[in-house]
Amino acid sequence: MERSDRTTLFGRIASVFGKAVAYLVMGTFTLMTVYPIFWLILNSFKSTPEYRINRIGLPHVFTLANYPGAWQIGEFNKLVVNSFVYTIGATLGIIFFATLAGFAFAKLKSRATGPIYSSFVIGILLSIQSLMVPIFIEVSQLDRLIGDFLRILGLRQLGTFNLLYNGRLGVLLIYIGSGLPIAIYLCTEFIKGIPDSLVEVARIDGAGYYTIFWQVILPMAVPIATTVAILNVTNIWNEFALINILVSKTELKSMPLGIFRFTGSMSSDYGKQFAALTIGLAPMLVFYIIFRKQITRGVFSGAIKG
Amino acid sequence: MVGQHRKGVEERRVYWTMVSPALFLYLLVFGFPIVISVVISLSDYRGGKMFGGEPWRIAGFQEYARLAVDSYFWLALKNNVYIVIVSIFGQLPLGLIFAYLIYRRIVKLGQFWQGVLYVPAIISVIVIGIMWNIIFSPYGPLADVMNQAYSAGFGRRVDAIFSAAGGFHITDNVLQQLVAAGGDTAQKLFAHPVADLKEMLQGYSPNQFVEAKHDIVNLLAPKWSAAFLTKRDLAMIPICFVVLWVWTGMYLILFLANMQRIDVQVIEAARIDGANEMQTVWRVMLPMLSGVVVNAAILCIAGSLNSFALVFAMTGGGPARVTQLLSIYMYDSAFMGAPNYPRANAIALAIVIFSLILIGLTKMVEKRYGGRE
Repeated sequence: MERSDRTTLFGRIASVFGKAVAYLVMGTFTLMTVYPIFWLILNSFKSTPEYRINRIGLPHVFTLANYPGAWQIGEFNKLVVNSFVYTIGATLGIIFFATLAGFAFAKLKSRATGPIYSSFVIGILLSIQSLMVPIFIEVSQLDRLIGDFLRILGLRQLGTFNLLYNGRLGVLLIYIGSGLPIAIYLCTEFIKGIPDSLVEVARIDGAGYYTIFWQVILPMAVPIATTVAILNVTNIWNEFALINILVSKTELKSMPLGIFRFTGSMSSDYGKQFAALTIGLAPMLVFYIIFRKQITRGVFSGAIKG
Repeated sequence: MVGQHRKGVEERRVYWTMVSPALFLYLLVFGFPIVISVVISLSDYRGGKMFGGEPWRIAGFQEYARLAVDSYFWLALKNNVYIVIVSIFGQLPLGLIFAYLIYRRIVKLGQFWQGVLYVPAIISVIVIGIMWNIIFSPYGPLADVMNQAYSAGFGRRVDAIFSAAGGFHITDNVLQQLVAAGGDTAQKLFAHPVADLKEMLQGYSPNQFVEAKHDIVNLLAPKWSAAFLTKRDLAMIPICFVVLWVWTGMYLILFLANMQRIDVQVIEAARIDGANEMQTVWRVMLPMLSGVVVNAAILCIAGSLNSFALVFAMTGGGPARVTQLLSIYMYDSAFMGAPNYPRANAIALAIVIFSLILIGLTKMVEKRYGGRE
């Protein structure tokens, strides 16, 4: 029998030493990850004058005074509502359209499936941020065309017409569209795994395709729908690049845009800035603490692609 | 036959009803914008109404020709390449190592490390960008820590100089040593360092050494200045660091989840056969994970070209455009100052093509060296 190196004295020392190094590396990296976030939250409880003389330590005077100010300047009461509308609306939209198309791709026969489905899969690789300028042009030109059309029909007077640009609808449509490729991929592959016989039996019983979709496919697709939802909630809540160019009115902005206001002229009022940053990271931190298992699984399935 | 035919028609109608909303939205977000960017990058369109407004025409490839000799474009491309390199050769190996340590239970509490290291990935990159910008700023906490360390070191030098001189005696020799110890701080502060310092120190009585030392340290200790804040070649270091900081946890989770699908007995068998830990990783683990590693690399490439918001919040491409990325150059071309839509769209296409080339290269590497799964 061959002796494993663990049984020799040298092997045991090497193993203990290796473990120590492993813990050290892991611990250092973890500390570097947690400490800045902890430091950020801690500083939101210091006044700006205190931060100037005490940047690293615990607050000597613990204050909550930064929060009301930051909340007001960032106009977060409006933005938080918008963030919820965009996140929930777009997530539901993505799930609905992706399961619908996924059902068609997986269970209905068509020669179109090959090219259309693979174009969606290519979309997973395209970075949507690189298209923000053409998206901006498209959206604002569409608004002008629709506005002109309505004017010709006599339905509107002169003036700018905003439906997609500076409109909730525009943000929602763009968000849904950008989330679809990966969602359609996940849903199609999942629905392919549902036995064809279930659909066939329902067909023989006289059920239409829509009934089958609602009553057979959707209930069975809940696990993948949850994964898609989890993937998209954090993405959409944190999205910045697209909404930054789609919206200029405060009434329509989302949380990340509000936090971004604390970079320019506001950046010397550190207390409020730290409070705003904490307000910015808190919702997703709580979401993560509650749904950690599902989020982890979502990362996994979101990343295994062909 | 007729029934069969009608059934086919119904199926086709249902198929298109179900697929077309998704297809429409996909075209709205990906299809049309790509067409628009091709057309506009070849045009002289400067904004306003595209249909029925000021006339514009197709002008040819002149915008691409300008980009080819535009130093800002190449700088932005270079910075993008840095981020891709850090992502692939930083995030992936680190993620793999951490995942392996947890998988083999070399470190305990796997759930804990995994849970904590993923936290940055769920926080808004705007928050992260602003946070690290504060940390790295010249008057930020990092500078504080470094300056405290510098002052402590300088204080020890001051002690050493005076104890060598046999106490708190102000001689020219001591003064020269003090000035020299502080680097160029004294030169910046005083016109005649030795004489001025002498005049200042004569204001202290011989038993005020502690106070005098405190003031000397405050005045003369070398000040820390981050090289990456002043040297343009190093300006990308903080950004690359933050990119690593944000995404490593994601690859850890990805690799760990895939490792956990590997039969533990395979690894155990390799160990029993006498392979050490490193050999097990190289010869057994990596070949089994090669598909996942390639997918992760592709994810890395797509992700690193998406670092717009992080850099936008952290540096905005500054100072003096040295941390500019392709996406920020594109944004500035379209939305800062007089819009240059042809250039912005040419850059957009350049990013798309660049990412497709990188992904193609990754696939080629996989074909060439890919292992068995």
